[in-house]
Amino acid sequence: MKKLLELVLKMGGTGYQPVFGGNLPPKIATSQRPVPSKGHFQSLPLGRRSVLRALTGALAGALTLSLSRKAKAAVQKMLVSSHTPKGYDPTKHKWLMAIDVDRCIGCGLCVEACKTENAVPVGPNYFRTWIERYVITRPEPGSGEMRGETLVDSPNGGMHGFPPSLVPKEQILKSFYVPKLCNLCEHSPCSQVCPVGATFDTPDGAVLVDPKYCIGCGFCIQACPYGCRFMNPVTKTAEKCSLCYHRITRGLKPACVEVCPTEARVFGDLKNPVANDPIHRFIEKNKAAQSLKPHLGTAPRVLYAELDKEVR
Amino acid sequence: MRLHIPPQISRLLLLTAVIVTLYLTARYFLTPQSFGMYGWYRAVALDEIAARPTTYAGQKACDECHSEVVQRLAKYEHKTVACESCHGTGQAHAENPDVSVSKLTYSHCVRCHEADPARPKWLKQVKSKEHYTGQRCTECHVPHQPNEVP
Repeated sequence: MKKLLELVLKMGGTGYQPVFGGNLPPKIATSQRPVPSKGHFQSLPLGRRSVLRALTGALAGALTLSLSRKAKAAVQKMLVSSHTPKGYDPTKHKWLMAIDVDRCIGCGLCVEACKTENAVPVGPNYFRTWIERYVITRPEPGSGEMRGETLVDSPNGGMHGFPPSLVPKEQILKSFYVPKLCNLCEHSPCSQVCPVGATFDTPDGAVLVDPKYCIGCGFCIQACPYGCRFMNPVTKTAEKCSLCYHRITRGLKPACVEVCPTEARVFGDLKNPVANDPIHRFIEKNKAAQSLKPHLGTAPRVLYAELDKEVR
Repeated sequence: MRLHIPPQISRLLLLTAVIVTLYLTARYFLTPQSFGMYGWYRAVALDEIAARPTTYAGQKACDECHSEVVQRLAKYEHKTVACESCHGTGQAHAENPDVSVSKLTYSHCVRCHEADPARPKWLKQVKSKEHYTGQRCTECHVPHQPNEVP
């Protein structure tokens, strides 16, 4: 081992001084080392005049920089109205919505509350959240299937409740309601396709639309695999569930969670757990909670408990 | 040897430099200040979205004046039902008590309790066409204390 080390030192190092002895190359004499000549220092421009000139230049540069910053701020003020920062730090929160399918009774209060709270246009095509009714029929006798057809309907998003199902009760194998909303994807396809950076993932877990920057191209509406976006017919900008960002930043629950009479919708902050927190209770209780279309790689964060495999 | 640049090339170089400088200047002045704070977007947009007004006041606001009702409700079956689920938006009422909340009707009860095979089994459901037709729900049931009989 020692021989090998010596060999390496002989081959490579000339200026290297090993701490241990042995057959090593001699130390290089100090006189052989390159020493900068005196003339090298004398040629440096360190006269009074040159120093003054350099200082003046630096001062002028700093002055120009500060002036340009002031000018930039003035231009910014003209272009975009700035808001005073409020006492909410998005990096200190991580919001999550979870849904217990077994607790949803399909009353539609959430849909109505969402429309009222967020001034979503009236009409059967504009929803930030909606409820779907799934009806799975019994299989045809002798078909050898476990289940029959899966029928899904959502009259007016379930906003005014649901009329009785057209399938007679005897033919229904299973029936349930599924509330839908933005799935708060970790890798949101909608914000990836936005050409102007008008839609984005916030540090606190929401996916928002900046209506001032949205050009209404509709790419995001095509990109969302959950159909959670629509074009606002009034503003002509893309719109979606904002997780009631104006409410959660004020310490309120989103409107749909607020009015849900059965606690089918659960909402909470993952970064600031409090005692008996509904979201942590939900995660603890429903360890098998799933998300919708996980195979797409969008990493949806909204959790669904008691989810049937037919739900897409 | 001195590098000789033909005049047409030096003119082109100058023009390119002017265009690049103009672009960089415009970008410097027009990019919003909060751009890039959290990501590839205007961070001020978060504040703008958060500044929108609310219409639902939240249970806490109800509790400020009607704590007696809220506490009583919490002891009965309807404890998970928020005030605004039935009484409607409350922000205007919370700011000015003279503005009354919406009147409740029979439809508020059947909205949840009408029998439907899609509804979970644990929920109490009735067929409104067969269940004491012609009588109002509140003749037999108290909405705030559904277990009690008036």
